[in-house]
Amino acid sequence: MFDVVVVGAGPAGCAAALEAARAGRSVALVERGPYPGAKNVYGGVVYGRVLDELVPRWWELMPVQRWVTRRSTMLMTGTQALTVDFRTEDWGRPPYNGATAFRADLDGWLASLAQDAGAVLVPSTVATGLLRDARGRVTGVSTDRPDGDLTAGVVIACDGVNSFLAKEAGLFRPEPGGRHLTLGVKETLALPRETIEERFALTGRDGLDLEILGCTRGIPGGGFLYTNLDSVSIGVVLGLPGLASAKVRPEELLTDLKAHPAIAPLVRGGRLTEYAAHLIPEGGYDSMPELVGDGILVAGDAAAMCLAAGIWLEGVNFALGAGMYAGRAAAAAVASGDTSATGLAGYRRLLEDSFVLADHRKLRRAPGLVFSERVQRQYPGLVCDVVQGMFQVDNPRPKPGLRRLLTRAARDRRVRLRHLLSDTLTGLRSFG
Amino acid sequence: MQPTDGTAPASPGPLVVAALSWADPRAVVDPLSAEVTADARAGASAADRCALEHALRLAPLLGGRCVAVTVGPADADLLLRDALAAGADEVLRVDAPVVRDPADDGDTTAAALLTGLARVYGRAPDLVVCGDHSAGRGTGATPAFLAARIGAAQALGLLGVSACDGVVRALRRLDGGRRERLTVPLPAVCSVEPTLALRRGPLASVLRAQRAEVPVVPWEEAAGSARPGVRAGAARPYRPRARLLAAPPGPDARARLRELTGADVRPAARRVVFPDTPAEAADLLIRHLVERGYLEGPPGPGDGESF
Repeated sequence: MFDVVVVGAGPAGCAAALEAARAGRSVALVERGPYPGAKNVYGGVVYGRVLDELVPRWWELMPVQRWVTRRSTMLMTGTQALTVDFRTEDWGRPPYNGATAFRADLDGWLASLAQDAGAVLVPSTVATGLLRDARGRVTGVSTDRPDGDLTAGVVIACDGVNSFLAKEAGLFRPEPGGRHLTLGVKETLALPRETIEERFALTGRDGLDLEILGCTRGIPGGGFLYTNLDSVSIGVVLGLPGLASAKVRPEELLTDLKAHPAIAPLVRGGRLTEYAAHLIPEGGYDSMPELVGDGILVAGDAAAMCLAAGIWLEGVNFALGAGMYAGRAAAAAVASGDTSATGLAGYRRLLEDSFVLADHRKLRRAPGLVFSERVQRQYPGLVCDVVQGMFQVDNPRPKPGLRRLLTRAARDRRVRLRHLLSDTLTGLRSFG
Repeated sequence: MQPTDGTAPASPGPLVVAALSWADPRAVVDPLSAEVTADARAGASAADRCALEHALRLAPLLGGRCVAVTVGPADADLLLRDALAAGADEVLRVDAPVVRDPADDGDTTAAALLTGLARVYGRAPDLVVCGDHSAGRGTGATPAFLAARIGAAQALGLLGVSACDGVVRALRRLDGGRRERLTVPLPAVCSVEPTLALRRGPLASVLRAQRAEVPVVPWEEAAGSARPGVRAGAARPYRPRARLLAAPPGPDARARLRELTGADVRPAARRVVFPDTPAEAADLLIRHLVERGYLEGPPGPGDGESF
């Protein structure tokens, strides 16, 4: 019997286990892989400032590949690409901003912190269901081990997207499958460190985070390219319904992206070392489940806490924050002897008062806008056409005005200006 | 768990040892620099996991206990905790640096293992079960050295091992699909092929394993007492072999080198083709390869189907 059982040793689960163990509670951290991070996939960038509360001077300890000092957003069509590029030296020194890291290293480090605090790691073990008492309150999990029932005062479900535990607990609303899910596929391509530094104009441990829009043949989603120390991670993220109806395989789109004239020179000669695919819950605030039940809390991807708001694509920091608050709330509930939904309600309050739900609530309209037909299919081409017109010198014809360029591009791309205006206003409201 | 203060506990029944190699079977070797990238969390190889499963089955049949041992740094404790979770009675790690003497042909490792076991159990093992090949691209000779050092019988390439009435019987693979049944006297060292999956331990074992303290014998203490044994020649870290290319004709080395590297050959202009059918595309590809000398010329009329 443990005070707290955390299912899933990803960022959310490790943070939850760490906080609960530090509060003096007995904690089991159940992980289906042979070691934390063995089964976990993400794009590649983690924003670590949330760790300030958990690990002082975390940047000296976290297994980082590169610190992101260059942040770029690229709009592309089949033949065009427009990049907005920003870099700052401030992100290359403490307390830093974003970092590229490998999940096997990152999750292993986080889990070691939880273990050092007293949590017991249970590797190679799948939580197969919930245990309940006569009143229906969750009292633990069953696992795929012989004699594998694990009882606890509180179960924290951090079992990732498509959380079977949260579903079994009845915390998700029934809705058409996959509407809020995207499929991320990525390749890790090994390149010599000096090649990466030359191609991406980087030095030392500086890194690039490149987000791409318009590379998915109109399927709602986008692309990314991140630099690691001696490899790059490149991938696409695709809305499941759009991917299914397009009847195209995701690796085809990734191949397209790698062959695009703006990307091919960056990844040329890269040796494939890893291919990974994973579902991502990108529905945002409106797709989140109930976060608290009798004897159970949900955090991280299991609670759809991935933020996909166009220019912001973040998940690990929200998972860390949610896990941290879940661990605190669970420890407090165990201490008070009330692990019912009422006793665990502090979790929701902690999330509401923090960036986790504040950002999601503020940006709740953003996923709908970002994944809309016009943003995905029409606007990248529209913007590229306008910029091409601006910089194309058609002498002896005089330079066209911006309004004329916009009108012409809108006509060519079949964009109605009232829709453009409407989406601009929605964007302003969404991103506030 | 066993004490680490050197005291030898009471030792009822045969000591069945699963000797597990701590090495990443999927380690990547850079073909240019020969730099080896290994993952410390890789776990035991399939053959070693099979060896552990055999040891777990044999120990109760022989009325003894199963001890899992390995040689490696603290990261190797993961391997031993897995063994404990699966049901090993005890574990032992001989603490060794990640990079050991490349000249070790397996004898030093064998000596260190036996010294470590003697240090903790006060005796040599009765039965050692190993995986049948070196996952770390070593010599694969450690089992032989183990057998030589304790004067044990050795059986290799085993597909199965069982015990009945204190007698170990094994099934050995021979060439041509033949099999050989062996009766193996104790003490013995058996190397098994990966024919069995390691059992999943119950949850309580996993929890105990995670909390267990792994007994450690320092490398200096274990290997330092090794007496010189048979040396099989230096073993070096794995390096891919260089590719042999026939020297092209040329009056001197410089000319041959230029010929070999194609320095004087003007690169052909890139050609982009748009075949209408897969067959046409295949024809174009083959023609291109013939033009470049990678394929023989096309067959003549009547040689069969057109290419």
